[in-house]
Amino acid sequence: MIGLTADQIAAEIETFSNRLKQGAQTLAEVGEIETGVSPREPVYQEDKLTLYRYQPRVNQPHAVPLLIVYALVNRPYMMDLQEDRSMIRGLLDAGLDVYLIDWGYPDAGDRTLTLADYVQRYIGHCVDVLRDRCGVDKINLLGVCQGGALSLCHTALYPERIRNLVTMVTPVDFQTPDNILSHLIRHVDVDLLVNTLGNVPGQMLNFAFLSLSPFRLAGQKYVDLVDIFDDAQALKNFLRMEKWIFDSPDQAGEAFRQFAKDFFQQNKLIKGEVIIGDRRVDLREVVMPVLNVYATQDHLVPPAASKALAECCGSRDYAELLFRGGHIGIYVSSRAQREVPPAIAAWLLAR
Amino acid sequence: MTEQTSASNPGVFNVELVLRQARAYLAFGDQVRLFTDRLDRTAEAEADWGEALQRHFAEFKAAIAQSAENPAANPELARLWLLIADTWSEAAAALGMAPKMIPEALQHTEEWRAYQRTQNDYFSQLRDTATEALDLMEQRLNERAAAGKAVGGLRELYNLWVECNEATYGRMLRDPAYSELNGRLLNTLLRCYVPQEPRS
Repeated sequence: MIGLTADQIAAEIETFSNRLKQGAQTLAEVGEIETGVSPREPVYQEDKLTLYRYQPRVNQPHAVPLLIVYALVNRPYMMDLQEDRSMIRGLLDAGLDVYLIDWGYPDAGDRTLTLADYVQRYIGHCVDVLRDRCGVDKINLLGVCQGGALSLCHTALYPERIRNLVTMVTPVDFQTPDNILSHLIRHVDVDLLVNTLGNVPGQMLNFAFLSLSPFRLAGQKYVDLVDIFDDAQALKNFLRMEKWIFDSPDQAGEAFRQFAKDFFQQNKLIKGEVIIGDRRVDLREVVMPVLNVYATQDHLVPPAASKALAECCGSRDYAELLFRGGHIGIYVSSRAQREVPPAIAAWLLAR
Repeated sequence: MTEQTSASNPGVFNVELVLRQARAYLAFGDQVRLFTDRLDRTAEAEADWGEALQRHFAEFKAAIAQSAENPAANPELARLWLLIADTWSEAAAALGMAPKMIPEALQHTEEWRAYQRTQNDYFSQLRDTATEALDLMEQRLNERAAAGKAVGGLRELYNLWVECNEATYGRMLRDPAYSELNGRLLNTLLRCYVPQEPRS
């Protein structure tokens, strides 16, 4: 049945052990793991937030700036991981003037930050900075994952300030049958969690993500690593991803409370029931052109969760961009570099 | 002025993550080697090879299952199963909730006992799922044999084991009962929480 002999297996074990020993040396020699490759400069700071402008890669970048709003979970350097895997570089190459909000690492002083602080104050101030700086009334906004949900809220509340909206792997319907994160958080007492811990530790979120596929993500991946121990470049790429995966900021308690309860547990975004500050978020106010980018194999934000936007936003110029890959592959795979940034840029430049 | 984007929190790669899984893989290899060794000898001595295979695979499964029942007996092998339990324990430890960190007085409270009971339920469900994965693995191997396909090596067998575990674990994960258990696990843990020094 198996077609293996004990001798074959013993030989394979020996080879594996030898590679493992060699790997210790390669790891020691691999040096500093750098993340983020594109030169940038800070143009605005507020509390932990830093707004960066990336150095343009064309002489005359597009006049309307593009503001990228990343998720509060994990760090935004995923968008600019390395030279040949950088969505930001792709957007710059296409002639866009790219800015990004880095939320920083919330600490105990940030536990009372609410979603209103993020959606109205922080994103609002960054939008204002870009309008002033670039001399435009409206800017282009690109929201990524949870940052896409925050961008939708901001855009619905202030549609007059946004020219075009791009949402990328963004959940809108949080309770599609295949939304496993929503399924896992359904019975969590979020009030108890936040009242007890204040900020929500990044390590707890890591557990949640790893627990979706533990045998692959916490086991097989490291066994497979032995295969690339003799390839310093491949090893560096692996370590870069690894650094990103475990670089998980704590989540500001009050903002997490509202996001977990209103978005995940009660699915209020799609129902038009989310209240930010004292204002209700009505996605029908999202009337500007919208490009909704989603990944067909996304295990965190299933396609149906993203595509729900088509039915509830008010835009008459709504388009979708489908990427055949997963939630991470859409940023870092080679194919994504060829397909996604050029398509986003072309769509923006046409509007 | 421009700057490179390398100012993020410098996470140092934890080599122990690799070593742990490598050791677990080697322990898995040892079990497979024992299994195939017995099978090789059986093939020479017995006519009913299919029956022998079933018997030896049952022994192989029992060895792995035993490591989950009693991780101390073969901790490296147990690690194969207890990946997610380990990750959970590390997350709990990050909150100051590892058993060694809990004051003795708390360990006698109903809250702590409730958490222990829930954690036992959780680990028990993980074990059941892992046992189902071995059944599935046996089924897949039989299907391969029927189709005349041999297994190319230990790694391929390990990958099949991972695939089967992901399949049975994934079914468990999507079950409404698991959603309830997952919530209860965190909620009961939080009810035991004793505030630590400000952590963030």
